[in-house]
Amino acid sequence: MARIELEQVNLTFHVRQERGVRLKDFILKRLFMPSRNPGMKVHALRDINLRLERGDRLGIIGHNGAGKSTILKLLAGIYQPSSGRRVVEGRVSSLFDIALGFEGEANGWENISFRSYLQGETPTSVRAKKQAIAEFSELGDFLNMPVRFYSAGMMVRLAFSIATAIEPEILLVDEVLSVGDLAFQNKARERMREMMAKAHLMVVVSHDLDAMPQMCNRAVWMDHGQVRAMGPCAEVVAAYRASVGGHAIAA
Amino acid sequence: MQAYLGAIWKCRFFWLSLVKMDLRSRYRGSLLGLCWSLLHPIAMTTILCVVFRFAFHQALDTYAPLVFTGLTFWGFISASVIQGCGCFFQGESYIRQFPAPMAIYPLRNVLGAAFHFGIGIMLAMAIGFVYGPDVREIYGNPSATRFQQLLSLPSLLPTCLLLLMLGWSLSILFGLLSVRFRDTRHLTEIALQGMFYLTPVMYTIDTFKNQQRLTRLLHCNPLVPFLDLIREPILFARVPSLATYAASAAVVMVSVLLAVAALRIEERRLIFHL
Repeated sequence: MARIELEQVNLTFHVRQERGVRLKDFILKRLFMPSRNPGMKVHALRDINLRLERGDRLGIIGHNGAGKSTILKLLAGIYQPSSGRRVVEGRVSSLFDIALGFEGEANGWENISFRSYLQGETPTSVRAKKQAIAEFSELGDFLNMPVRFYSAGMMVRLAFSIATAIEPEILLVDEVLSVGDLAFQNKARERMREMMAKAHLMVVVSHDLDAMPQMCNRAVWMDHGQVRAMGPCAEVVAAYRASVGGHAIAA
Repeated sequence: MQAYLGAIWKCRFFWLSLVKMDLRSRYRGSLLGLCWSLLHPIAMTTILCVVFRFAFHQALDTYAPLVFTGLTFWGFISASVIQGCGCFFQGESYIRQFPAPMAIYPLRNVLGAAFHFGIGIMLAMAIGFVYGPDVREIYGNPSATRFQQLLSLPSLLPTCLLLLMLGWSLSILFGLLSVRFRDTRHLTEIALQGMFYLTPVMYTIDTFKNQQRLTRLLHCNPLVPFLDLIREPILFARVPSLATYAASAAVVMVSVLLAVAALRIEERRLIFHL
């Protein structure tokens, strides 16, 4: 049973100018002088309410930095809400940052296994899928090579093939992925369509406003961490278009 | 708590395969194979034996196994702590993609270190068996044979379990600390160097029995009971006393409680500090 519920969800976090604090600075500065590395509070999501049932296809739109990807990561369980309630029921699979997280020293086959384990597979189920993943990636003998010798394109091919070899109940997608060369892109788009059709529930972040109404039945327009509008996809997209267009004319 | 452990268990295939991969890539293409794990403690043991032989006229047949067990133990502790400092940075790309429990990332290093430790201990047991103590003297039984010595070895099983818990919790603690404070690793390396000399790795506490204050200080070292747990069965063919087990268990308990508390606070916001 796939279900997503966000109730009054807020997400705030502190960032610092410098990446981290040093222990000796922390001890010395706390005692003797004000910090030269002040923290900043980021209110990334404000009072988000969302309820999705089986069959829903939600598109998230908005300008850069509006909190689109943050919502997705919150739904995936990577960020925890600072306040409010989050309920996500169903097996989640997320397609974002997929090119990250490879073990350079290990070869393609090994990487297929352990990335699949992370997606909740078991050795038995991986053994059954390995061949299909390898075939889809079209990497052939390169799979016997450590992945640190792979080109960026090959890496993405492998990542995409692994990440889409599952049948998710809840599918979270960030942007339309541009993967590999032209031939592979077409194949990847086909695979994405299949996956989206199979998923019980889908949330997708995209800037492709034309494709959005075909993929989604509902949409959320995010603005500075808040929901500006929510409703049927076509309406929200139209409202967003109007506002962006208005800005362009005013400028 | 139970749910958390359940989540760790659920992704066991993931962290186990990472450990396996680490070991394989370490051994790959090296003629030494498993001896890789032993290279460092054996080389160090040789050096220390030579030094102590010339400087202090130490008898080698008792000293070599003593140093070797000490260094094997120390190797595990320092690997857990030092590699622990980098564990969350190492796992950052996974942390950013999958909501797995944070405690699995330190587990990767600790299990790798445990593997090397296990091989070291097995060699130590073999040495202890061949060059071990005179069992007839220890048991006060003139007809005792070397094989009776083996009976004390199963006492190492709970020891290994305790060590694993200790290594894991230390790794978590230092990992979280170094995410918060970037110079943790640097400071820890220095502190470990000092700790090495304060731990009876290349000597025994009895070496200093004339210096009461130093002996008292050494007894405060929380790592001492673990060394006793390892050395008693291997070097002296004795099952360690319950008090030694209790002391070690208490140390492990403190370390684990600290790690659980730290995880509870940091687990949710760790990602924002990476």
